Amino acid sequence: MGIHQKIVGLFLAASTLVFSQEKLIYFEPSLLRASATIAPTRFYNHETTVAFINGFMEYVVEPKISVRGEANFMAPNGQLLFTNSPEKFPRNFASIYAGFGYHLGKKNWKIDLHAEPGIALAEMAQDPYVVVPSRFQWSACPSYMLKAGSSFYFSKYCHFFAEINFSNGWVRKTTLSSVSLAQYGVSAGLGFHLITQKHDE
Amino acid sequence: MSFLALQVNAQEQRTFNPAGMLSLGGRTTVSLFNDHKNEMTGTGIGGQFRLRFSDAVNTDWFFDYITSDILNYAHRTDYHIGWSVLFYPINHLAYFHQPKDFKPKFRPYILAGHCFDYSKIEAKDGISPLDGALYAERWSSAVQAGIGTHLELTPRFDISLTGQYMIHLGNHIETDFDFTSGTLSFHEHKGASLAGHLLVTVSLNYKIARLWGFTRR
Repeated sequence: MGIHQKIVGLFLAASTLVFSQEKLIYFEPSLLRASATIAPTRFYNHETTVAFINGFMEYVVEPKISVRGEANFMAPNGQLLFTNSPEKFPRNFASIYAGFGYHLGKKNWKIDLHAEPGIALAEMAQDPYVVVPSRFQWSACPSYMLKAGSSFYFSKYCHFFAEINFSNGWVRKTTLSSVSLAQYGVSAGLGFHLITQKHDE
Repeated sequence: MSFLALQVNAQEQRTFNPAGMLSLGGRTTVSLFNDHKNEMTGTGIGGQFRLRFSDAVNTDWFFDYITSDILNYAHRTDYHIGWSVLFYPINHLAYFHQPKDFKPKFRPYILAGHCFDYSKIEAKDGISPLDGALYAERWSSAVQAGIGTHLELTPRFDISLTGQYMIHLGNHIETDFDFTSGTLSFHEHKGASLAGHLLVTVSLNYKIARLWGFTRR
């Protein structure tokens, strides 16, 4: 086989590959995706940054709409910067959210917007400066999360995602004034997805 | 011929009638202008389902969990479970009937309803050195009315914004705090009172089923 025939053959193979890539769109209704990652999060009223373990699961119900649930857990010893004392900042913290997503963009690159009501669980000291060791109590605090991000679906089972989020809530069960849980964070990583229903062409 | 025309007309009306549509959603609520002395803005979370009875009448069946501060000496928790009737006063306009080419649209409504509620007010530190746990609670009933609008982003998904005033009927709890001695006490007053609050709610809703009125194949 001559060099010209090899080059022509290579172009033909490449054009077939491009054609097949254009045809495959992974983001479609019935797509189920999930991931877990480490999410650095800043409680800006406390000047404290912590590491969250974030996990989510999302199901696409329409071309632009999805249902999503997610959870955050403050990693053990996950207070990274400017750690406060337990009466001013939760000793342990977790949050769960469920809501909807709105997805913009064509084909496999999406801009994602999410609004999710939820509950934040915070464990705070109840007897600061008075009783040692202090009594701790968990609170369930109404909260919400707003999230914006982008996802790129590059294969049948995997995608990349990057998101920023803002959430807020108040811990009322404190001896001192209520503690704001206003925070913003980032999360990114590799996600996994699956088309759960076959669609008729 | 006229019989056939009537049948076709009836078929079209059936197609446009959204009665029987069931939605499921989550909601976030802010409680403002609370009548309780020194109570501050509250925040809440909840869920609801929405069942539509006709083109102009819908219903919300909701649960809310709301917490708020009473200055820095107590905090209050409210649980609401109730229902509201939503009436769409301008739903007859052609703007709201675009069966083929869907475009996002606002759909304003007036609502009124009723709920049961449980309220608990606790001292900020939760205990009194002499009396133990320091709190007061009550069960009561309430009525609410207000206005709102859906923002329908797709045929099945909407974001709804509602402002409503809720008036609690029944016993009410008063808190007295002596700022000099730091002593907190509760007083329960029996009988009707019109203590209330303004609730602003944002909800996200998705239509999951049509319970009746569907067309048989």
